[in-house]
Amino acid sequence: MILSDLMGSRVEGSDGERLGTLIDVRFVIDGNPRQLLADARLEGIVVSPRSRASYLGYDRKDMNAPALIAHFLRRRHRGTFFVLWADIERVERGGVRLRSEFTAYDPRWSARVTG
Amino acid sequence: MRSHRLTTPPPAAGQVLDAQLSLLDRQVLDRTGVPVTTVDDIEVSDVPEGAIPVDAAPPVITAIVTGPVLATRIFGGRLPESRYIRIPWSDVSSVETVVRLGVDGEALDASWTERWVRDHIIRRIPGGRHDPE
Amino acid sequence: MKRLFAVALGILTAIGGFVDIGDLVTNAVVGSRFGLGLVWVVLVGVIGICLFAQMSGRVAAVSGRATFEIIRERLGPRAAVANLGASFLINLMTLTAEVGGIALALQLATSVEPMLWMPLAAFGVWIVVWRAKFSILENVTGLLGLSLIVFAVALFLLKPDWSGLAAQAVTPQVPAGEESPTYWYYAIALFGAAMTPYEVFFFSSGAIEEKWTVKDLSQSRSNVLVGFPLGGLLSIAIAACAAVVLMPRSIDVTSLSQVVLPVAEAGGKVALAFVIVGILAATFGAALETTLSSGYTLAQFFGWSWGKFRRPVKAARFHLTMIICLLLGLGVLFTGVDPILVTEYSVVFSAVALPLTYLPILIISNDPQYMGRHVNGRLTNGLGLVYLGIILVASLAAIPLMIITGAGA
Repeated sequence: MILSDLMGSRVEGSDGERLGTLIDVRFVIDGNPRQLLADARLEGIVVSPRSRASYLGYDRKDMNAPALIAHFLRRRHRGTFFVLWADIERVERGGVRLRSEFTAYDPRWSARVTG
Repeated sequence: MRSHRLTTPPPAAGQVLDAQLSLLDRQVLDRTGVPVTTVDDIEVSDVPEGAIPVDAAPPVITAIVTGPVLATRIFGGRLPESRYIRIPWSDVSSVETVVRLGVDGEALDASWTERWVRDHIIRRIPGGRHDPE
Repeated sequence: MKRLFAVALGILTAIGGFVDIGDLVTNAVVGSRFGLGLVWVVLVGVIGICLFAQMSGRVAAVSGRATFEIIRERLGPRAAVANLGASFLINLMTLTAEVGGIALALQLATSVEPMLWMPLAAFGVWIVVWRAKFSILENVTGLLGLSLIVFAVALFLLKPDWSGLAAQAVTPQVPAGEESPTYWYYAIALFGAAMTPYEVFFFSSGAIEEKWTVKDLSQSRSNVLVGFPLGGLLSIAIAACAAVVLMPRSIDVTSLSQVVLPVAEAGGKVALAFVIVGILAATFGAALETTLSSGYTLAQFFGWSWGKFRRPVKAARFHLTMIICLLLGLGVLFTGVDPILVTEYSVVFSAVALPLTYLPILIISNDPQYMGRHVNGRLTNGLGLVYLGIILVASLAAIPLMIITGAGA
């Protein structure tokens, strides 16, 4: 599967109601170790209910200036949430459907969180 | 159901990469630091058709894709897979502000156009092989 | 001592390299029609280019990434390809104008038909891009460009009415015989001439060519903050000469002869020789910069290997792009189009393309992943936002004003 097919696709709940647009896909490099890097495992998707436009980097916790631009973009994308792979029911050309009991997480992250 | 005050997701056990944010459209440099291409698209392993079983393993990134796929990414449409120019994920050594490979650019499919222009045009112009003075 | 020399060289090169055919023609046209009534635009433009050149130079020195790589990474491929298309075309227009400018300067010197000089000019630009070291190319054209100081000297020799000139500058008025929209059209043209995008592409890629690091930041800052404003003063001198000599006689600027007329009148053949050397250096230098910029923008967008620090065989597509651009520019010039006209259009279109270039620079210079602790301070951000506003207004107003005023007729 190629990622640009997924980006910008419609995300709906289990009853078909529109939840938003898929604006990003999150990977974590914690899969099977290979020669150089470990496998990059799909951890989940980031969904924005309002806007298909780019966040321009302001979804990161450490990106905050210039204040005016940060504020404008965060308002535009308010309500954005992150969903884990386990909560995805199906992925098709038309869109992504989530399971009925999915959890919406905070989409923002800080650099490298190691466990 | 959806919670109104969003909680932080469980911590990740490795480097976190959001595709659009950290991977797509970044420069790809080879082992010696010479640019090879940009990350035009990303290929992941296949997702099960239809309803995904609850305990299904998540897909992994199989390759960085470049070449004509950039045109379909910008303008839309679908490229047949045979036209993808791939750099396997196993060639990637690190991802920071750029993507660094652990191999030399010469060996890659992705540098074919560069090699062609070099061999058929630039090499034929006198002085091309010398350092600037 | 060596450091002092390096600093001086950097500043002098920045001054000499500031003026190109766009600045020459636009300032002369504006001076001949509006006197010094648009000097404030040069000031606004110089502050703007200092701000953004500083930011993009800092980003390149700290992160090792050049402007167009950042534009694509931050704005995504769609917005970046739109920017690429626009920037590339404008760059090509500017390149055409500069190569034409070289030929026009050679005509001034030798009275030989410019079209005969054009292939030589294009070839000369190519051979330097192909073989010469980056620092030599920059330093030689920059230092020779200092000859343009003769405009300032000429201004003094002309013994102008200083208080009259000052009054024109400080209380700008639209002179009789000109209209308000035309005034604003030329304001945008002058702004575009001062803040041309290729300057920023070139400056940031040049920082990587010269392998700047964090240690070079203060050098870069002095080049920009001392060099560019002094270069701006040169632009004002060009406008003032035109205001003093051309405007009272209602002489229109249609060729380089009118631009240099004040200098010839003030200082005779010697001064004329200096100004021709200066114009040759400025246009040749700018032709080199726009040619390199066309290579930089395309290579950085697609992720090709680029750079004069690499042998041509190691940056094949980069060099091929530049060869093709020079050939295209030459082709356009052979159609007989007036390079002065191409110049006048290129500066206005430059103003249109500014927002897509400057927004990513402003954002990335705040990104800690790229900049570490060298992110923008609050003053820079405040100024940056103000300028983003000005750039947006100029960009949106440019085409309508061009249509309303018939391109400043």
